Amino acid sequence: MNIIVFVKQVADTEARIMIKSDKKSLEIENKFNMNFFDEFAMEAAIKTKEKFKDTKVTACTYGPKRSIEALRTAIAMGADQAFLIDNTGFESEDSLIVAKILSAFARKEGFDLILCGRQAIDDENANVGVMVAEMLGIPHASAIVGFEVTDGKTVKIENEIEGGKETVEVQLPALFTTQKGLNTPRVPLITGVMKAMKAVIPTVDPTTLGLSKEEIDRNASGIEIISLEPPQQRPPVKIIEGETPEEKVRNLVKALKEEAKVL
Amino acid sequence: MAKNIFVFVEYKDRSIRKVSLELLSKGRELAEKDGSTVYAGVIGFHIKEIAETVKSYADRVIVVDNENLSNYRCDTYASVLEQILKKYQSSFVFGGSTVTGKDLFPRLAARLNAPIISDAVGIDFDGNRLRVKKPLYGGKVMSLLTFKDGVSPLITFRPNSFAVEKLSLNGEIIEENIDIAKDPKFVILNTDRGGAQKVDLQEADFIICGGRGMKGPENFQFLEEIADVMGGRVGASRAVVDSKWREYDDQVGKSGKTVSPKLYIGCGVSGALHHTMGMDTSKVIVAVNKDPNAPIFNYADYGIVDDLFNVLPILKEELIKSKQEI
Repeated sequence: MNIIVFVKQVADTEARIMIKSDKKSLEIENKFNMNFFDEFAMEAAIKTKEKFKDTKVTACTYGPKRSIEALRTAIAMGADQAFLIDNTGFESEDSLIVAKILSAFARKEGFDLILCGRQAIDDENANVGVMVAEMLGIPHASAIVGFEVTDGKTVKIENEIEGGKETVEVQLPALFTTQKGLNTPRVPLITGVMKAMKAVIPTVDPTTLGLSKEEIDRNASGIEIISLEPPQQRPPVKIIEGETPEEKVRNLVKALKEEAKVL
Repeated sequence: MAKNIFVFVEYKDRSIRKVSLELLSKGRELAEKDGSTVYAGVIGFHIKEIAETVKSYADRVIVVDNENLSNYRCDTYASVLEQILKKYQSSFVFGGSTVTGKDLFPRLAARLNAPIISDAVGIDFDGNRLRVKKPLYGGKVMSLLTFKDGVSPLITFRPNSFAVEKLSLNGEIIEENIDIAKDPKFVILNTDRGGAQKVDLQEADFIICGGRGMKGPENFQFLEEIADVMGGRVGASRAVVDSKWREYDDQVGKSGKTVSPKLYIGCGVSGALHHTMGMDTSKVIVAVNKDPNAPIFNYADYGIVDDLFNVLPILKEELIKSKQEI
């Protein structure tokens, strides 16, 4: 079975993020990781490989050259191979364009199963995975919390639905986006890390995937950035005074009612 | 050409979800300014009464009532919406950034080859064009976005982004008979809607959230009681969910749900960055913590520095009293 795991390298949640003077781009402190939700996708792929011997796990990302590090993490976890689709010169963040590129890669590489995190924690879109499924004409389930390949042809998954959970059997090929709770991603062993350091990771030019430059460059996007702004600052906290807990709570409720007007 | 705004309406237990009413209210406000028409799409089975209510909020209500649509499925709903949107040539399509919206809208966008902005928190006019506000990096950056001429984008909005207005239009109900394509590769084995009775965490106006300072799962009963008084929901920090004191469904934060209630009360929540990223668009934030240096106080509007086990029982009584006064 061929499994493709799409991963993204994202800024660490603690990384400093500055808006550049053009107010349209960001300067991000050099602290990057594999996207939190993609780790669950990697783990599910590796577990499947352990169960079905003739399984090949391919990790792939579309991003700048630095994102090769996220692919090394994927190899350290157990991926057999990895590809970096280099976005230099394109740099579009538009979900529609990214999904076109990733689905073109999947079509070229061949697959039985595609896994990826339910959303990237930087742009928080939760779009690309599902869009890739649509472009490839395959079923998907999003935010899965249970995953079992039954016989190599079907997968039994559990996913989040409005107000509950659903167990679904899906015929392969299919795509699933992974949610926290699915599994516990492994910490790579030192042997894996050594292997990843030595691994040759090919770089793919997106225009070799059957897409024209016009289709995928920044101008192809229907969305324009007007500006990037810092979030509105909240005024400093008002610590509610009082001699006793009773008095503090009464003063709080009064403030919520009369000042904040939320009660 | 006249523009139109299409709102995909979600409902639960025979009543329209608040997020859909918010979007219809906002859609109306925008339409008043540039003469757009507001369309509402109501799809499902036995949904006449829902369509009747939606009528007050939209110029036209497109209804697809079919037994094959009785439960949400990505394949059937996407197929129906695709056909409606093509027929009515919507300029903008609005939906909630809900479990359903996040599943359905990307598939629909890909099918229509349309751009999509998800989890937006605001929309207004910037001259003649619409301007969408969307947070990035857990709220560290706010992006203001617009669209090129001639594109018809899909936009999902975070629940609680807009106020619900009382409207009394008398829109036209249009029933559409549509062939429904079901994906045979997708078989639903079992559905468990155990949580359906609870108020949706993302839609709740009031959230009281417990952190590690709650000391154990049994103490969340205090929070449940207060949430009941307020008709809201209990949330939990990541530490609490990781310790299995609460279900993942309750988790507020970067790796959980992003919420923006009218009132958020954090109890024994330290205020780690991954938590505040999921709640800092709340209108009013209250923190109760006995540590005056807890980072949550940097995000809160009001703070009580005290032992939360002394505070919670009194808070419940005071909130009951305040409810009775109204």
